[in-house]
Amino acid sequence: MNAKRYVRAHRQPIVVAASGLLLSVGWTVGTLHDVALLSAGLMILAAAVGGYDVAKKAFYTLRSGTVGINTLVTLAAVGAIAIGEYWEAAAVVFLFSLGNYLEARTMAKTRSALEELLELAPDTAIVRRDGETVEVPAREVEPGETVVIKPGAKVPVDGEVTDGESAIDQSPVTGESAPVRKSAGDEVYAGTINQAGALEVVATDTGRDTTLERIIRRVEEAQEAQAPTETIIERFARYYTPAIVVLAVGTYAITGNAVTSLTLLVIGCPGALVIGPPVSIVSAIGSAARAGVLLKGGEHLETAGKIDCVAFDKTGTLTKGEPAVASVDGFGVADDDVLRAAAIAEKKSEHHLADAILAAARAGDASARETATDGGVVTDRAGESAGPEPDEPAIPDPEAVDVVAGKGVVAQYDGRTIAVGNRALLADRGLEVPSEIAAHAREREAAGETAVYVALESEVVGVVSIRDELRPAASDAVATLEAAGVRTVMLTGDNDRTARSVAEAVGIEDYRAELLPEEKRDAIESLRAEGHVVAMVGDGINDAPSLAAADVGVAMGAAGTDAAIETADMALLADDLERVPEAVGLSKATRRNVSENVAIAVATVGLLLAGVVAGAVHMAAGMLLHIASVLLVILNGMRLLRY
Amino acid sequence: MSEIEYRVTDFDCPTCASNVERALSKTDGVDRVEVHYTTGRVEIEYDDGVVETDALERTITKQGYTPRVR
Repeated sequence: MNAKRYVRAHRQPIVVAASGLLLSVGWTVGTLHDVALLSAGLMILAAAVGGYDVAKKAFYTLRSGTVGINTLVTLAAVGAIAIGEYWEAAAVVFLFSLGNYLEARTMAKTRSALEELLELAPDTAIVRRDGETVEVPAREVEPGETVVIKPGAKVPVDGEVTDGESAIDQSPVTGESAPVRKSAGDEVYAGTINQAGALEVVATDTGRDTTLERIIRRVEEAQEAQAPTETIIERFARYYTPAIVVLAVGTYAITGNAVTSLTLLVIGCPGALVIGPPVSIVSAIGSAARAGVLLKGGEHLETAGKIDCVAFDKTGTLTKGEPAVASVDGFGVADDDVLRAAAIAEKKSEHHLADAILAAARAGDASARETATDGGVVTDRAGESAGPEPDEPAIPDPEAVDVVAGKGVVAQYDGRTIAVGNRALLADRGLEVPSEIAAHAREREAAGETAVYVALESEVVGVVSIRDELRPAASDAVATLEAAGVRTVMLTGDNDRTARSVAEAVGIEDYRAELLPEEKRDAIESLRAEGHVVAMVGDGINDAPSLAAADVGVAMGAAGTDAAIETADMALLADDLERVPEAVGLSKATRRNVSENVAIAVATVGLLLAGVVAGAVHMAAGMLLHIASVLLVILNGMRLLRY
Repeated sequence: MSEIEYRVTDFDCPTCASNVERALSKTDGVDRVEVHYTTGRVEIEYDDGVVETDALERTITKQGYTPRVR
């Protein structure tokens, strides 16, 4: 029983081995002992053993009305036996089944890059139900249930931490190597590994809806989407095989040379040509996925291979996107009043700087912050604003708000107009900036901070300076791209001085500041008009227009946002800028790899055809070359798995 | 209408995968079928009142490949 199961599970290698053994015994008997009849019998047996499955597949293929490689090999083998070329028949069949076996094994390895991802998610989850903790299949956890994740365990669902603190290894999902600290309120993803303390998590997405599952589906779709090269080749293959069959029949009809015509059948499947490009692309997409980079498909990979210009958004891409108020400076008005006015105006705004201003106002420590940046001047206001509820000093709602895109907000409160924004907003309103305030703002901007002006009625009364730290990997990523001959550009809505300071810090020479979202898109279009193949790296939400305008739109930190995963051509699951040059490099390597594989395949087909016409290549030799070329392109493509 | 997904890891060549696709699409009760050589994924939408998964699996097996339910 066990033996039977073993044979079934390993049918292919057993068949190959048996066929090979019969072939070699037959050859030995034939050459050394000159027992022609016995040798012929063994050869036919070798062909039959190795060819049974092939013939069966050929039969089913024929019945569904097509001609595939199995049909051709079966015809060739039967034909060879018919004309007494037993050795050729056996050798062709043996080599073909050996080739198939090796091909299936290597392809399975390529495909398994994905299965490794699938196996990351644990099968069971520990859930609190009715006051008890029970272990249930992970699929059966309902959103909203509380899941307990023990130290060392894998996270079974996507969810939000409600209790506990730990470090989580997110590398399986996002590709980032360093563990990430998680505490109450943070998101965790199925398939990641809890390294330290126990966590309680409220499930948000479970089963097929987790980020990991979505990533896997996305990767599969990408691998299944055909690249333009593949489509061209498949069209070619559709005509090549029948053409060869016609050629074989024609050759026999005209020359009567059976061996030549059968040899043509053997080489009639353009194996390496149809297999090469998909293997390269599947390997590349799988390899990228393991590094936390999702590629939309072969087509995008081919385009990405031509990238010679990468445009970065500044905020949230080159910087961490966590702006914090660095200082508040009132001119003729108390610092706290400036911050409070700004907070009221920004209360209804969704701009990323608004959050920083509101957070600072709620913490009520404008002066304390100033102490930190200005160095040691302790004012008495710090104590004053620490009320009984320090986390939520009430910020009143403005009576009316007008958001001026790319410039700021204008609000009405308590009968007064508060304008908060950049210089363009002030200019629009015809407000003049006193030279003292302008000098202060310039100073902060030169330090890479963003100066936000606050005006009450018609008077500019202060500046809120907001700092957004650079991502540590930013300058390395830029340097790597530049070293690879890729032009880098920074696009930002921020003012020129802040932009220059950030651009200098990361090593980008070409920066374009004070751009509105549609101007960023125009900038991308003008770069493309210059003949560049442009990638735009942004956060996928605010930068959607410029991402869409670029040849390749790259979304950062996509793990949590479905929209970014769905729409970007390339999605970086973690906020890891180093992946940008890596992905560009991988795309270029893939393009090279595809070309190599096409070259190998075309050379093989040419060589074989020439060899057959010249009479130098016979059936077995033809099959050997054919198989060698197929294995060569697969192995070449698989190099990308280890990129 | 039901949907099932198989994984076939032993496709020999892209043509073999399209043969399986053709065979499945000719099966009664199969509404939509996609077979992908590169990932080995077989996605079938079928009418469970007309055809059973056993028959679908048999169709794949008959073409010479091993389906596994995902």
